[in-house]
Amino acid sequence: MQDKQFMKEMLTESAHAYKEGRMDRRTFLALCGASGIAMNAVLAGDAQAAADHVVMWNWGGQSVECHGSAIGEAFTAATGKGVKFDTSGPLEGKIKEMVDSGNVTADVADADLFNAVSLGPTGHLEPIDYSIVSKDKTLPGYALEFGVSVILYGYAFVYDTEAYGDNPPKDWKDFFDTANFPGTRALYKWANGSLEAALMADGVAGDALYPLDMERALNKIKSIKDDSIYWGSGSEVHSMVVNSEVTMAIVWQNRGRNMENDTDGRFKLVNNQAMAMPGAYIVPKGNPAGREAVMQFIATAQEVPAQLKLLDCLGMTPSNPAAFGEIPEDQQPYAITSAMNIDKIVYNDPTWWGENGGDAVNAFLEAIS
Amino acid sequence: MADAFSGGSLRIEGVSKYFGAFRAVNEVDLEIRKGEFLTLLGPSGSGKTTLLMMIAGFLDITSGDIALDGSSIAEVPAEKRNFGMVFQGYALFPHMTVRDNIGYALSVRKRPEAEIRARVDEMLELVQLQDFANRKPGQLSGGQQQRVALARALCFAPPVLLLDEPLGALDKKLRVEVQEQLKDIHRRVGTTFIYVTHDQEEALSMSDRIVIMRDGAIEQVGSPQELYERPATRFAASFLGKSNFIHQNGRAYALRPEKIDIHLGSGHPQARRSGTITSITYFGSMQRIIVETTEAEQIEVDIDVWRNRQPLHEGEVVELSWQDAAAVELNES
Amino acid sequence: MNAVARHIHPGWAIIAPLLVLVVALYLGPILNIMWLSVTDPEPGLGNYRKLFEGDTLLRIVWTTLRICVITTVFSVTLGYSIAYAMVHCHQRQKNYMLTLLLVSFWISILVRTFSWLMLLGRNGLVNNTLETLGLISAPIAFMRNELGVLIGMVHYMIPYAVLPLLVSMQSLDSRVMDASRNLGASGSQTFWRIYLPLTLPGIVASTLLVFILSLGFYVTPAVLGGGKVLMVAEYISVQLLVTLKWGTAAMLAALMLAGVLAMLWIMSRFMKLSAVFGGSTR
Repeated sequence: MQDKQFMKEMLTESAHAYKEGRMDRRTFLALCGASGIAMNAVLAGDAQAAADHVVMWNWGGQSVECHGSAIGEAFTAATGKGVKFDTSGPLEGKIKEMVDSGNVTADVADADLFNAVSLGPTGHLEPIDYSIVSKDKTLPGYALEFGVSVILYGYAFVYDTEAYGDNPPKDWKDFFDTANFPGTRALYKWANGSLEAALMADGVAGDALYPLDMERALNKIKSIKDDSIYWGSGSEVHSMVVNSEVTMAIVWQNRGRNMENDTDGRFKLVNNQAMAMPGAYIVPKGNPAGREAVMQFIATAQEVPAQLKLLDCLGMTPSNPAAFGEIPEDQQPYAITSAMNIDKIVYNDPTWWGENGGDAVNAFLEAIS
Repeated sequence: MADAFSGGSLRIEGVSKYFGAFRAVNEVDLEIRKGEFLTLLGPSGSGKTTLLMMIAGFLDITSGDIALDGSSIAEVPAEKRNFGMVFQGYALFPHMTVRDNIGYALSVRKRPEAEIRARVDEMLELVQLQDFANRKPGQLSGGQQQRVALARALCFAPPVLLLDEPLGALDKKLRVEVQEQLKDIHRRVGTTFIYVTHDQEEALSMSDRIVIMRDGAIEQVGSPQELYERPATRFAASFLGKSNFIHQNGRAYALRPEKIDIHLGSGHPQARRSGTITSITYFGSMQRIIVETTEAEQIEVDIDVWRNRQPLHEGEVVELSWQDAAAVELNES
Repeated sequence: MNAVARHIHPGWAIIAPLLVLVVALYLGPILNIMWLSVTDPEPGLGNYRKLFEGDTLLRIVWTTLRICVITTVFSVTLGYSIAYAMVHCHQRQKNYMLTLLLVSFWISILVRTFSWLMLLGRNGLVNNTLETLGLISAPIAFMRNELGVLIGMVHYMIPYAVLPLLVSMQSLDSRVMDASRNLGASGSQTFWRIYLPLTLPGIVASTLLVFILSLGFYVTPAVLGGGKVLMVAEYISVQLLVTLKWGTAAMLAALMLAGVLAMLWIMSRFMKLSAVFGGSTR
């Protein structure tokens, strides 16, 4: 699944470049043609975990470069160990399959904190060693037994300034109000973020979301179903926005800046009521490089310089409170834990999602299909 | 039965066919008489099948005209010409029964069910396939398939029946049998048959007239006997039967091997050539003797084994004689 | 022992290792899936019972069948016309067409899917042109709905539909069609009564191929359907990768497998499958 998403990203990005004249037609077509082969190449993966390096399992694209420069360099300098990448995307099912098969090839997975809740108790993850990793270098509640939040991303929304002019939507209530804000919406297909937004739109307070009232949330979702389309990957929603297929879209807030730039400011990011999602590093049970090495890697990622580099490179917001104040001014509008946003946001509960996520996704799919 | 049919006459006038720059048929003129059995005979590439396909309407004519009973059919599409055709390999409809194959022409003409049934029964009887009406073509022998093809082509009483090497797929023994049946059916139905073959024996035994074709043009037309006895050209003489070619007084003559008498020794009063036997081949009813003459010609002589008891041996000196009428003068060009 | 050995052709010894490998590589995983469908999360037929508890799964199955049937009908019909044109045009044009057909096999499904968005999307080439020309006032919703899914799938499937039909048409004896015309049948009579029945095995092969391939589609529905067209394959993938309900996924996979086998079985009642898969009818 994720290998395809990688290709999607690559192709959409290049489709963009082509459209804007940054890439010539021949290169774009060649890229399209090559993709069939490239996909296999990515699949095959050259990541071979061994004791002298740590294998990071992430989602490909820019993250290889960014994780390498933000964490890898400092980690190598401190330990002498290298970093390699597996870009096939650590979906929950893939982690489970890898551990169950006994052929564990990755040391640390760039996943969600709720994955730590669902996969930890079933014996698929190594516990985090808090003698090496610091509980203080993340937000309270986001340092769990089997995973620790290293960055935050968020569910915010963008809107089309040309569609709404002087009366722009300000919050989730407006997002779900198709009568006063007509136009097509894009929502996230795998439920999270979308459900919370629906509840807030329906009047639930941001700090009283959990446990989610599924029925209430789904009713709200269904109420705008005719005006909604749903996205499954970052590049997909990016193209929906850039091609003006929608007038409002729930987006990963770290992509908001790209969208504003790629539409020359026509679309604008709204961080009010944005939901902070703890992105976490988790360790597959029996990882090849051993616990100590991988814990050192995670600890490196918690440090302020690494946090700021990740923000600069990937748009992922620091989760280490010590880094909040260091966020550069030009990045503040796009970082949900920056001084200008931190009071407006709500927080995802990884425990609820880890325990109920599967059923929530299925119920959501049922409601939208 | 015969009254259901009425043969048509065809006139082919100056018909040519080009495939790109290649001339497949060249200025052919031919009258085909009502009810006759006419054979187009020639080696492959002689244009006989192309000519047949133009008559059938599957190929356009490049120039010239074809007329049926006096009116031109050059512009009439194949499906409107009402000519029956027996294809090479039969081209039966493999998914239909024998009955449906035979009744197809009537069925596409939307004739009443009962009429089709009766007519197909008649046809099944004509070709002796009453017991096979509900079989599929794949379940029949080659000879039976050939008869289905014939019945299918005759079912709608066409004025002209075109046959494209219909016996090509049969073994030799069966072929002779089917030739007899075909001739018999031709006599009974009275349709004009135009028959394409490269087999001279078939042509000789079945046809009223034979058209010998060569390189897209007509070489000679005539009854089998005329063509055999009086071939006009060296090609006609050698294509139909075997022939020796001799030169006398600057003229060329064809001489059939069976029309030569052979005499042992020398001094025979009517001797026209003398020479030495170089080979003897025994064929049962006759033997073929090759004589190298003193003029350095190779002459083939066929002799009746039964009537010429005198034993001959290779290397013996012999003399050859024939009647004046036996040697046919050729138009040598 | 000897008696048994005598009946076994020695040739089997040569292919036996290969046979074992094929069984291990194909049958093994299939049995594993069957096993999973009755053991995960707990032993029993609970996963199969889910089909009838609530209408979610049945609705997904129904959506899948509906889309696959429509896709198959359009792909095979259009494929038939294309194959017919290819068989009956000049060799040069035929080579061109065949090249285009084969090239399309190498273009990744993602590229094709996104090309459709560029072409028929809300701000795609077609809608923009029509709007510029003043023919429409609002964009036509070609994409992000079931129509979009169908357009994308039919487009992807046409080459698959064409190939078996092409083989079937090329193997026909053209004299049979000549014979039909010679016997007085019009073009359409010849088509309906001779050509179509004789290409039926090709149509069946093409239908089976397209239908079975369509069942496994999920990229195209996921993207062009705007998230609202949920088909079995995508649902299985979600259950495997996101919600970790492997038992449900295995149950649906087993169901699809059974469905395909049942279809082949029904088909075999009506015609010899050997004819469909290129064997001889005789």
